[in-house]
Amino acid sequence: MPHIKAEQLQEGMVALGDVKNIDQMLLIPAGTVLTARHLNILRAWGVSEVEVVAGEGVPEPVDPMATLPPEVLAQLGEDLRARFFDWDDANLASVEVFRLMVQRQARRQSGA
Amino acid sequence: MTVPTLETLVRSVPTSLGSHGPVLAEIRAALRSPHTSLVSVSGAIEKDPDLTARLLRLGNSAFYGFATRLATVAEVVSLIGLQQVEALLVASSVIERFRGVALEFVTMESFWRHSLACGIAARALALARRTPKADRFFVEGLLHDVGRLVLYAQAPDLAQDVFKVYRGERILLREAESRVLGYDHAQLGAALLRHWQNPQMLVEAVAHHHAPEASGAAPIEAAIVHVADHVVNAMSVGSSGEHWVPPLRAAAWQSLHCPVEVLATVVEAVDEQLEPAEAVFLAPRSPGLGHE
Repeated sequence: MPHIKAEQLQEGMVALGDVKNIDQMLLIPAGTVLTARHLNILRAWGVSEVEVVAGEGVPEPVDPMATLPPEVLAQLGEDLRARFFDWDDANLASVEVFRLMVQRQARRQSGA
Repeated sequence: MTVPTLETLVRSVPTSLGSHGPVLAEIRAALRSPHTSLVSVSGAIEKDPDLTARLLRLGNSAFYGFATRLATVAEVVSLIGLQQVEALLVASSVIERFRGVALEFVTMESFWRHSLACGIAARALALARRTPKADRFFVEGLLHDVGRLVLYAQAPDLAQDVFKVYRGERILLREAESRVLGYDHAQLGAALLRHWQNPQMLVEAVAHHHAPEASGAAPIEAAIVHVADHVVNAMSVGSSGEHWVPPLRAAAWQSLHCPVEVLATVVEAVDEQLEPAEAVFLAPRSPGLGHE
């Protein structure tokens, strides 16, 4: 398991090398078993990738979208879309923001 | 009703630097001096126990996420840097200046929640782009809508007219502002920050946060705030009065050269850091402490 994107990191993975921010300040020393707090630290500093090895018993992530009935999900998407002024399908960044909002809302509704 | 000029409205806002004034002045002097020592700056901050408590709280929060616990002001200042401390003081002094003002169209709490979220999002986006001194983006995001606060607090009757137009049509709030006032909150906010002698970058980012490509001096700064504003409006965390998610300008996004995956990091940063940031910046000043 070499470099992993920050958003795919999970608790229980182990940092292979020292993790530093752009000012070379040490955030997480090599060999640390990542906890929720470490994942927050990486997010806070915008660290995009970390070299890790798999830890013991790392669980599979749960997809909140899979736990909601399709009609609930569709309604949720429709309500959100209606709030975007001048919605434009071709605007990839805005489409990504919308996708993230559907996920976030689904996560909240499913209690995940 | 006579519409005051932008300058008249700006000059009607009280100019006191608030309770952080003395420390801010000392830090600005220290930034200009070649003989600055960390000890003297930390000493100046420590004279204000309320500020000391806030800085320590911020330094130990998810906002910075340092791996070790910071116990002294000197540790916080040495890790985050003097310019960052200055930026954070500017942020809190603006919040301080409008504290206690009653607003009709949004609550002060909701206004600052939207603003803090935008600051966090702008900083997270800057960090993801590996832009140095990312804390300045926090201040730019935090103050991007300060012009609305000026309008709501200093000219509530005009604000009423703006909302009448806004509610009657399918338009953005800033379009209603332009129609009623002849200028919008971005211009008003920039004029205020210029009047208060803030850095040019901050003024530009605020002035052009709805049209970053129009900024000659700071198009990237303005684009970062523009994207952050789009994200936090979509997240519905607080509001400065706008109910729509304003459009994201494709050219502004492209100017940042970021993969779209970065946006997930920005959303997560807001969800993680908003609560600690509110605790630091919006908590009322401790009674009986500090310079006042």
